[in-house]
Amino acid sequence: MIPAELPLFELQGVTKEFGVQPALSGLSARIRPGTIGLLGPNGAGKTTLIRLLMGLIPPSGGAVRVFGYDPSRNPLEVRERVGYMPEHDCLIPSMTGVGFVAFMGRLSGLPKETAIGRAHDVLQFVGIHEERYRKIGEYSVGMRQRVKLAQAIVHDPPLCFLDEPTAGLDPAGRAEMLHLLQVLSQLPHRSLVVSTHLLPDVEGLCDEILLLNAGRLLASGALAPLLAGHSAETVIRFKGDAERFTERLVAKGLLPRREGSTLRLTLPAEGERAVFEAAYESGTQVRSLGRSVGTVEELFLSLVNAPLQEAPP
Amino acid sequence: MSISAPRYAAAPVPLQGREGRVLALFTREVVARFGWGTGLVVGLSYASVVLIIVVSAEFSSIVGGPTVGSFYFPYASPIWPFLVLIGATAVGAGCISEDLGSRSITLFLSRPIHLTDYLGAKASAVAFWIGLMSIGPGLLGVALVGALGLAPLSVTLPAAAAYLASGLLTTLFFTALAVLLSSVTTRALYAGVGMFGITLSAEIAGSAVSGATGNSAVGYVSPIVDLQSSASAIFQTGATTLTVPAASAALLIGASVLFFLVAWLRLSRVEVVGE
Repeated sequence: MIPAELPLFELQGVTKEFGVQPALSGLSARIRPGTIGLLGPNGAGKTTLIRLLMGLIPPSGGAVRVFGYDPSRNPLEVRERVGYMPEHDCLIPSMTGVGFVAFMGRLSGLPKETAIGRAHDVLQFVGIHEERYRKIGEYSVGMRQRVKLAQAIVHDPPLCFLDEPTAGLDPAGRAEMLHLLQVLSQLPHRSLVVSTHLLPDVEGLCDEILLLNAGRLLASGALAPLLAGHSAETVIRFKGDAERFTERLVAKGLLPRREGSTLRLTLPAEGERAVFEAAYESGTQVRSLGRSVGTVEELFLSLVNAPLQEAPP
Repeated sequence: MSISAPRYAAAPVPLQGREGRVLALFTREVVARFGWGTGLVVGLSYASVVLIIVVSAEFSSIVGGPTVGSFYFPYASPIWPFLVLIGATAVGAGCISEDLGSRSITLFLSRPIHLTDYLGAKASAVAFWIGLMSIGPGLLGVALVGALGLAPLSVTLPAAAAYLASGLLTTLFFTALAVLLSSVTTRALYAGVGMFGITLSAEIAGSAVSGATGNSAVGYVSPIVDLQSSASAIFQTGATTLTVPAASAALLIGASVLFFLVAWLRLSRVEVVGE
């Protein structure tokens, strides 16, 4: 069991260069246990970061700690505590589902009997029932994806890296996979790092995000404050004559945008007073006034498209 | 889908060490490589070699008693090495190429094992089957000769040791060749064709060029000739061979080490995450 006060992983000025090409530049972050979304466009450095965290490659500079271990010095200690679900197909078609998952459990160090028992447990959990005795070559894409998840959690690791877990799934399969991940993420002492391009998946699943672009860390931390903080807009929900309320706001130098029974606008300092004055003058009832909460997609696009600057501390 | 996620309320199971994980990989590979093709070649090797040993010992006992040198007979023709080559192709061609083709190697290497553990387990499993064909028949033949009273213990014991030594050399070379070729392709078929192609073309080209030019040094390119030459020295036959036995043995061992090294270098370039 991992002590609660121990960070899941910690990066201190981590750089990684392939030849002269920097893949990661000065990454620093301290990530607590939970469900973390690893985001970034292609070539952002997500894959390199996962490789570093799993001890598959050493950093060129800086320090990496996973559960307190240095993965480049203690790769096996780290990988005993880690599960990995790759994006690509990686199953052995000639093996049965239960045989394959049990074998992966044994490769993680489980004794034979325990590995077989847990293989049945996790396959039941992911929804592979009688099919587990059939060869993997006969499985559908969705079933293969679920077997990939099962093999990642068979040894009950405290941390799982999931690379595009919903890739290639139809809407129903995607919803089922997200449900499974949500159940997993709610288990105690279980953390997930989800690398995905499907940003709505992150919104429903993750507590924290790590957003990379061109090898730099653009944002890291809890998702909700990040989403609220990046938006400069204020949302007003009201009851009353929308036309008159809008007119009064414009007369006070504000530029509202109407969306049904809400107005969106960028408020200057002390702008809230002007809003309430406009409401009073137009006989409108203001029901709520607050900072607009954006989507992960908006956050992603605004940060990725912003000019590169020094990574935030 | 089940109602709830699996929860392990019991104390965490202590994980096995690297040895346990390597053993799991080795065991699976040994079992996976057993098929009708492997069984057929193993059976043929035992039937033919044991028959040759017993018949030649029977003949030697009539004409004055077998010596250690008379047990060299199965190596006098390239039949046994070729049977081992067929068997090595059956068990070795897919040992790594299938993992590369299915990309399951990325999952294996994401587990708490080193690349050397993976390579060692695969090579050991292939060596197990090749050893069964290159060492087992000789030892069984000698045991039968001893049991039938065709040769005294003073002859059968050194003969068994000689079969063990020459069989180990054969196992080492063909294992290394299989591991190398299997690690450079994602298709077992290509690796198998490569094993046959390299061994047979070296044998044919070596004997043709050496026959045409009279240069016996060309014989070194053929692993079969090298194996026969090494075995003749191990069995102390005193027969004249195309190559110097010690040089042939050194060449086989050196080539095997090189093959393993190249396979390791190739597999170290496999990208476990994000390939």
